[in-house]
Amino acid sequence: MTTQTTTAPAAELRPSAEVRYADELATLARWDADRGAELPPGWLLSPRAVRAFIVGDEALGVSRKFYGDDPLVDRAVVSLLGRQGLMLVGEPGTAKSMLSELLAAAVSGTSNLTVQGTAGTTEDHLRYSWNYALLVAEGPSERSLVPSAIYSGMRDGKVVRFEEITRCAPEIQDTLVSILSEKQLMVPELGSETRVAARPGFNVIATANLKDRGVHEMSAALKRRFSFETVAPVRDRDFEIELVERQLTAELGPVGQRPPLSRDVLEVLVTVFQDLRVGTTREGAPVKRPETVMSTAEAVNVAVAASLEARYLGDGVVTAAEVARQVAGVALKGDEEDARRLRHYVDNVVRERARSDSRWKDFFTAAEPLWR
Amino acid sequence: MTTTDLEVAGSFSAGAARAAWDAAPERLRRAAEAIGTLRARGIHLAPVRHHSPACAVAVGAAIEELRPSAVLIEGPEEYTALIPALLHEETRPPVAVLSLGDSGSGFYPLARFSPEWVALRAGHAAGAELAFVDRPWGERGAGEREQGEPGPGERGEDGQTTLMSERYLAHSETIAAVARRLGCRDHDEVWDHLFEARTAGELSDWRVVFDDVLAWAALARLDYEEAVLAADGSLDREARMSARVAEHVERLAGSGPVLVVTGAFHTLALVEALSGAPEGAVVRDRWPAEGYGEVASAEAWLVRYDHERLDGLRGYGAGMPTPGYYERLFAAHEADLAHGAGTAAGDGGVGAGPGVGVGVGAGVGRLSRRPSPDGPTRRQSTDLAGGGGLAGAAGTAGAAGASRLAVEVLVDVARAAADRGHAVSLPQVSAGAEQAVRLADLRGRPFPGRTDVLDAITSSFLQDDGGVGVDRPLGLAVAEVFGGRALGEVPPGSASPPLVRDARERVRQVRLTVDDSVPRTTRLDARRTPAHRARREVLALLDFVGSGFGRQVSGPDHVAGRGLGLLLEEWEYAWTPLVEARLVELSHLGATLDAVALARLRAAEARLAEVASGTAGANGPGAGGSPGGGPAAASGGPAAQAPQAVDGAATLMAQALVMGLGDHLPRLAALLRSSLDVDRDLASVVGGGQRLLHLWRARTELGAEAHAGSLLDLVGQSLATAAYLVPDVGRARPEDEDTAVATVVALRTLVREAARARPGAAGASRAAAAPGVAASRELARLREDAATAPSVRGALVALGSVDGEVTDDVLVARVRGALQAGADPSLAARFLGGVLRAAPDLLLHTPELFDAVDEALRRLAPEAFLAVLPDLRRAFTWLRPTETHRLAQRVAASTGVRAHEVDVRVDLTEQDLAAGLVLERELAAVLARDGLARWSGAER
Repeated sequence: MTTQTTTAPAAELRPSAEVRYADELATLARWDADRGAELPPGWLLSPRAVRAFIVGDEALGVSRKFYGDDPLVDRAVVSLLGRQGLMLVGEPGTAKSMLSELLAAAVSGTSNLTVQGTAGTTEDHLRYSWNYALLVAEGPSERSLVPSAIYSGMRDGKVVRFEEITRCAPEIQDTLVSILSEKQLMVPELGSETRVAARPGFNVIATANLKDRGVHEMSAALKRRFSFETVAPVRDRDFEIELVERQLTAELGPVGQRPPLSRDVLEVLVTVFQDLRVGTTREGAPVKRPETVMSTAEAVNVAVAASLEARYLGDGVVTAAEVARQVAGVALKGDEEDARRLRHYVDNVVRERARSDSRWKDFFTAAEPLWR
Repeated sequence: MTTTDLEVAGSFSAGAARAAWDAAPERLRRAAEAIGTLRARGIHLAPVRHHSPACAVAVGAAIEELRPSAVLIEGPEEYTALIPALLHEETRPPVAVLSLGDSGSGFYPLARFSPEWVALRAGHAAGAELAFVDRPWGERGAGEREQGEPGPGERGEDGQTTLMSERYLAHSETIAAVARRLGCRDHDEVWDHLFEARTAGELSDWRVVFDDVLAWAALARLDYEEAVLAADGSLDREARMSARVAEHVERLAGSGPVLVVTGAFHTLALVEALSGAPEGAVVRDRWPAEGYGEVASAEAWLVRYDHERLDGLRGYGAGMPTPGYYERLFAAHEADLAHGAGTAAGDGGVGAGPGVGVGVGAGVGRLSRRPSPDGPTRRQSTDLAGGGGLAGAAGTAGAAGASRLAVEVLVDVARAAADRGHAVSLPQVSAGAEQAVRLADLRGRPFPGRTDVLDAITSSFLQDDGGVGVDRPLGLAVAEVFGGRALGEVPPGSASPPLVRDARERVRQVRLTVDDSVPRTTRLDARRTPAHRARREVLALLDFVGSGFGRQVSGPDHVAGRGLGLLLEEWEYAWTPLVEARLVELSHLGATLDAVALARLRAAEARLAEVASGTAGANGPGAGGSPGGGPAAASGGPAAQAPQAVDGAATLMAQALVMGLGDHLPRLAALLRSSLDVDRDLASVVGGGQRLLHLWRARTELGAEAHAGSLLDLVGQSLATAAYLVPDVGRARPEDEDTAVATVVALRTLVREAARARPGAAGASRAAAAPGVAASRELARLREDAATAPSVRGALVALGSVDGEVTDDVLVARVRGALQAGADPSLAARFLGGVLRAAPDLLLHTPELFDAVDEALRRLAPEAFLAVLPDLRRAFTWLRPTETHRLAQRVAASTGVRAHEVDVRVDLTEQDLAAGLVLERELAAVLARDGLARWSGAER
């Protein structure tokens, strides 16, 4: 949900927030200086300026970058002031990562101290590792040590981002527990007394997805060290349609290079997702919410798959029928219980809509035999 | 909306406000001067927001300093007669004054932290004369109460109005713009930010507070056209108030100042009217030439009130949300003031920043917080961009109490959440307290306010992504602490409230006797006689509110779902003193029977919603009586996630219709729809569907013709949900199989009846039948599924045969298959039980089936036969006596014995029946006499 007002240098595919919004950050720093605002230790901007950077300030010419939940931004900024880390949770496609990037850029001037969590993340990624050539040549030394993002963040007093923390194995996640509570990192290889003590300004913003399949639980000890903030899914239908369309272009190229997907069909797709996500239709009829997270990201996947189907198996135009077939395959992951829920949705909602609307009729005709 | 407005609105932090007047619109500036002139004349206007602790503190301080000779309060002038009762030492807020008019009732609520309450009590203590000066309730026309798009919740659906409406402030564009500018979510937070976030010391500087409140409200007032204000009666009320004030001032000339406490929205008009300003002409022109004369007198009653209905978030339109929180805030201010007075006021100075030395409990001692250099001094700047500069003219007394309040609230919420199963650790509370202080700092408030504390709870007490959630333990805890639970007291012997009168009137209207307390019986034919329907509605209404007036003896009971085939209803009733006493007790719930019933209905809805969300205990919904009744109501399905939520909601709909409150059906229907989403109990969903279908059928006698279409729609939706739940009954455990079979049978009946209801039904949705198709399809799927529980499968096969979906050959093959040699005898017996339960007569009508069963039973080994004998015996009880008789003949024929040797037939005569009925009635009477009526099922 970024509004990229500043055009980025062409060199990078996607420059980081502090580059894109360098002007605004400078404006806010000046504003702080003019007011004589007190900066929290290690911060480049005052909390109010950080807030203004994210929710925008017309008077200062700072654009709004995050929509929908200003109190959430307040809470996030304030959480970073405390001893607790900040944990942004929510479904995929809710701009958690963007929020964490903006916060890090505003508070520390860099959003690049980032750990990208995967199942393959090891303790080395969180602590430090070694340049083995140097290690063999010189033995353990400052020079041969390769710091992790967390190491650097502690040393320099910066905010570190930890993306998708729940994708890491629990024992790796737990490395953070002692780092966050003791605010120091021991480096026994350089001598038993050697440690990196966190300088003021250090904190961690983690993003996590608690509902996806295949993510790990977080230990209670780790949870205690974070303030949890839930980023809500996009509620606005037009905004979500726009997001899907934008992502579709990013994946398959602009209209003309990919099979045309009319706004009508997109509307069907997004409506299906919103109905199933919320649990009621806009008309107020109850529907069963599937276990599978009906996120915007999944809606994009369905749109992509439907486009591919139309291109290779169909007549090159995406209709609601392709969408119907792909929703079952892409979004429901073969869960039988979810199939029941979807059947309920088709029986209860789609059937009724199909009577008066040809797009929904396409959807219904394709879905009915499929989900019997 | 001009830029000037914005700058003014944004910048009136206490000290800056005065300077900001220069930038104000001309009209406001002149008003500001006029206020000074009026003060010099001894007329002090106290603009307040109803139920604002900040204004209450300021009013208290003003009275203490001015020692006025009179305190005049906005409120219908006939309430002046109730002042002794209001001042009575046993009167405890929250209380309300209740007025009745032709177009509904009005409440004038007073909480401990209401400025009006403080004005009464402090004014009395200062020896001032007290009076209400607003236009009498009775003179406010119906149009006046309805004009101008009432704000959400301002006018209750039950026809009750609050006399302290503030829709103007909620809807003002200026205030909305200020909210956006200050980063506040709504006008309540704007108010909190600008006023409630002041320390007790600042609030004691009442002149500044009143000037700021006036500016805040006047800006909103400028958004409204004169025509709107005239049409909704504001101008007439202001004329009355200003004239009365002028009278009092003239009469009391020389004996001391007069303090006028009114809603801030009216103050501008009063200033202009009293000071002779040209803008005041519209109000002054309404003064009658001969004056208003004697103070009006009209009946009004002092009744108990409670926090629940004081809460703006819970549908009360006047004023502030979260009364529980504001009561605490007011208490904190009082403590701060008392403390300040004890230790030489004014020693606090600027140093007494936010949260100094907060140390409640061991774990939260860490909270003590540096007074921020970014603190009060800087906040005085008029700089808005950073989120608003606020307050801090000259902090005199500290805000220790107000700062500590955040911690207290956090601790109490944590405790309340723990009681509901959401454990909150001490470090979390501590982190929350820290968070609250920092949020207050970020937002420029001297101590954490309401939204800061709420945000701190969101940040610190949660460790998942579910949010606080209105129906999760934490959300309920927040509602409890912030909403408050206080219930007021009125002195004994207060005049009995109008509910009694209303009830008596309603009963009389339908021509039932209320002149003595002799029990009487009335027989009603609601289907054919509209007057009887009205009578039934009143009886049901009084029954539902718990007055003990009457009870239904026989006939169709639409709520309990009994006797639905009957036409005539019979009720017993008696107007006893106990009924009146009970109504007096109920009068805090509303002024009319409808209002009380609605309050109860809403309470039942809330309970149901809580049940539906799975947060309540194991208790049923208790919605005006347990659904009870048919076999389908037995609980204990495979997933008792939201026990009986759908059936409960349908019961409430029945209850509302029976009482003639059909207008509320749409809301109940919405509740039912949301229950459909969570109820995992097929029995409840089917039961609810049956109930709805019955209501549709009884639409004439229930006066629900207008809702026929939506009732059928709901039946359709229940069927859709039922279709979704059908697979669950297939997996029923052995001990639940009976229930499962009963449910399946009921579902199939419902499908058929719903299909029958559809053609010719006016307004019925075309989709109504479609879900029936889905349910049938799911049932068929279950029938073909080998993993389905045996008795369910047997029942489905039998039903399929009856419906012609399963041919006789298949039926016999299935039964043979289930009973064949080598089959587990207990599974076979359960299968057979299912068949007999669903369609007992199949055994008689299908010779091949009889042979198959006969053969299988003969083949059983003696031990196996003995083992399944109890099940078999029960299975065969589903046959009616005559059918048993015919079956016995068949058995006799096939085994070559005489029929009477295998058939034991009990012949009952009419005399036996009569004797049995007499016995049952006697037993019921004995039980009822001993207060055990529930045992006989006579009492719902």
